[in-house]
Amino acid sequence: MCLGIPGRIVDIRGDRGLPMGTVDFGGVRREVCLAYVADEVKPGDYVVVHVGFAIATVDEAEATRTYEMLREMSLLDELSAPQ
Amino acid sequence: MAVIVSAGPSCPVPLVATDRIQLGHGSGGKMSAALLRDRFLPHLGNAVLNQLGDAAVLPVHGGDIAMSTDTFVVSPVEFPGGNIGSLAVHGTLNDLAMMGARPLCLTAGFVLEEGLDMALLDRVLASMAAAASAAGAPVVSGDTKVVERGKADQLYINTTGIGVLRPEFRPAPDKARPGDAVLVSGPIGSHGMAIMAAREGIAFEAAIESDAATLFPLVELLRKAVGDSVHVLRDPTRGGLASALNEIAAASQVGVVLDDGALQVPGPVASVCDLLGLDVMYVANEGVLVAFVEASAAQPALAALRRHPLGRSAVIAGTAVAAHPGLVVLRTGLGGTRIVDMLPGDQLPRIC
Amino acid sequence: MRYLNEYRDPALARTLVRQILQTATRRWVLMEVCGGQTHTIVKQGLDELLAPAVEMIHGPGCPVCVTSLEQIDKALLLAARPDVLFTSFGDMLRVPGSECDLQQIRARGGDVRVVYSPLDALALAIRHPDKQVVFFAVGFETTAPANAMAVWRARELGVGNFSVLVSHVTVPPAMIAILDSPENRVQGFLAAGHVCSVMGWTEYEPIAERYRVPIVVTGFEPVDILEGIALAVRQLEAGRHEVENQYVRAVRRAGTPPARDLVYRVFELADRKWRGVGMIPRSGLALRPEFSDFDAELRFGLGSMEVDEPAECRAGEVLRGTLKPFQCPAFGGRCTPERPLGAPMVSSEGACAAYYNYGRHRAAIAPES
Repeated sequence: MCLGIPGRIVDIRGDRGLPMGTVDFGGVRREVCLAYVADEVKPGDYVVVHVGFAIATVDEAEATRTYEMLREMSLLDELSAPQ
Repeated sequence: MAVIVSAGPSCPVPLVATDRIQLGHGSGGKMSAALLRDRFLPHLGNAVLNQLGDAAVLPVHGGDIAMSTDTFVVSPVEFPGGNIGSLAVHGTLNDLAMMGARPLCLTAGFVLEEGLDMALLDRVLASMAAAASAAGAPVVSGDTKVVERGKADQLYINTTGIGVLRPEFRPAPDKARPGDAVLVSGPIGSHGMAIMAAREGIAFEAAIESDAATLFPLVELLRKAVGDSVHVLRDPTRGGLASALNEIAAASQVGVVLDDGALQVPGPVASVCDLLGLDVMYVANEGVLVAFVEASAAQPALAALRRHPLGRSAVIAGTAVAAHPGLVVLRTGLGGTRIVDMLPGDQLPRIC
Repeated sequence: MRYLNEYRDPALARTLVRQILQTATRRWVLMEVCGGQTHTIVKQGLDELLAPAVEMIHGPGCPVCVTSLEQIDKALLLAARPDVLFTSFGDMLRVPGSECDLQQIRARGGDVRVVYSPLDALALAIRHPDKQVVFFAVGFETTAPANAMAVWRARELGVGNFSVLVSHVTVPPAMIAILDSPENRVQGFLAAGHVCSVMGWTEYEPIAERYRVPIVVTGFEPVDILEGIALAVRQLEAGRHEVENQYVRAVRRAGTPPARDLVYRVFELADRKWRGVGMIPRSGLALRPEFSDFDAELRFGLGSMEVDEPAECRAGEVLRGTLKPFQCPAFGGRCTPERPLGAPMVSSEGACAAYYNYGRHRAAIAPES
């Protein structure tokens, strides 16, 4: 359930009081409602978008940290795994 | 309640300003003649068509001809990278090319909705003319009808193509054999996603253009390089690569194994597919061909495709196998396998 | 795309598969709640690869599959009305009701339109003041904030011709119902990542504690799922039963509070019937009385309906995880995606469709290791 795709905020504006923004998904752009994350975000930040709404911000620091751990583990594993 | 004045039948005296198609344009009288003279012939005219005979007279070649018809009802009528006109030419000529035939000429039948913007019609005809000219296949016979507002979605086009077959080059869907290499001539998903992204209610801004193009030059390169080692040719249009491969697997009673990593998908196409939950394997292509080629001829065939701009990113995407005849299977990067099945209907965007 | 494609890396995935196979000293039974996770698992053949260490039971995390037959039939009634412009997510279009589906209603002349976002439905209502625009508000907690905002904005902007047909369900009561079932074999859960993006994971802590099951909040890409399974197996091997977060890039313990808040300002908990499972108390969301003006059921006078499921469809057992799709006698024969008996065969997230579309060849091909 729940296709949530991470995208980068390009700009933020208001639509009759509702915070909206343009979000870029790997070269594709769409209008997204930023009401639920408006206090936390600025252009350049990443958010998770589901049905046209940002439902969470992407914690880039955490993402990088855990991904690097995973990659290190994988490199060690590839070196030691029987081929 | 206000009295509603019925619109009634339109005034039979034609309006001077002709910026929209009217029912009178389909009547066969002066308005029709003027439409033909002022709109259609300037774009599509040639020695045969300009005679305006009831039928085109063509020299008969010794041997077999290939003939294919297709009707185009795409909406939106204009989309990034093309319109219904260019699509109508490429689509039918490509069907001929997939049989190994050299395209000779086309007919074109139009159903126009009352109220259609003339400027739009001009753009469509100009695209058709350019596409036909690029393929060396003129429109030799045509027809136009006009229907009342609401009875057609702007315009529909039917094209029928005729091509000339060479006796020694006859690819066919049932000729695939176990061991054949499956070649895909280019990146997949562009046409279908260009249309999808432009649809109302979805409205993504995407740098995606339809890939619609004439494939005959690629076919000729293959024929000259490896001749009848090309067993099957197919352009994966409606239903995408998955449907085309399933049809071939069923017709030839072979299995197909695809390599997930080999298929090329442009970045923005992959992004829109992710956003809408669509599988790119089912998305239409209009400028890509799939070829089943004898294993020994696979590398020369690939090299031949890559010599042409359309085939620059050609890849060997998989193999035909004797196992699981009729089933197409994808091998994932993890070594797992999964079926690539036919869909019952259209792919729909999903939230799940 | 960044923060997405990296989690599809086959090398990382292979490492995690090896790790899981090495860590497990016995075969554990896990359930992934979310249909999107089922999709990835079957599509990537992950259950095949992990079979010696893990049996994956597919949970009822497909809001499309569990929307009750009654709600589908109400949708069909509304969509057939000439004064209604019926809008829906694409997922719902081919789900069978008692007689037909939304796509067939459209073929017969109903104005049925697929939208990507509930705000698109609201925009249609503003653009077509002469029509009654109804939006089919289905989904788990992930989609509730979007649907809530559509209703909130409709009230704010005074869009009188907009209403919603609500069929929201929530995850924790379903997990509890599964755990309470005497036939339950599930020993650990992968919780639905995007549900938790919105709601956080505090609701799962008492469940992990009471039933002594590890619950790992997990994402949707192959690396996410494998990492989630690896964490669950590690807990099980160590005898732990905690809530853990694999999906750190998108989930915090408190979720996204403004989203939770608006959901509970517009909706309230209600009893909800899950198709194939039955009534689960306080497992659904319904519009609060102050928003009843936007309730399509009230606006169009749709009372309660009692509808029977086709007897042959065993969706309930599949959704509860007690029956694998290929064990159902109708699977692949009388029930296929072209002629589905029940929702799990129609929805692309449904377990039956996933097996049929991706996995039915497994008997014919020996799995690679």
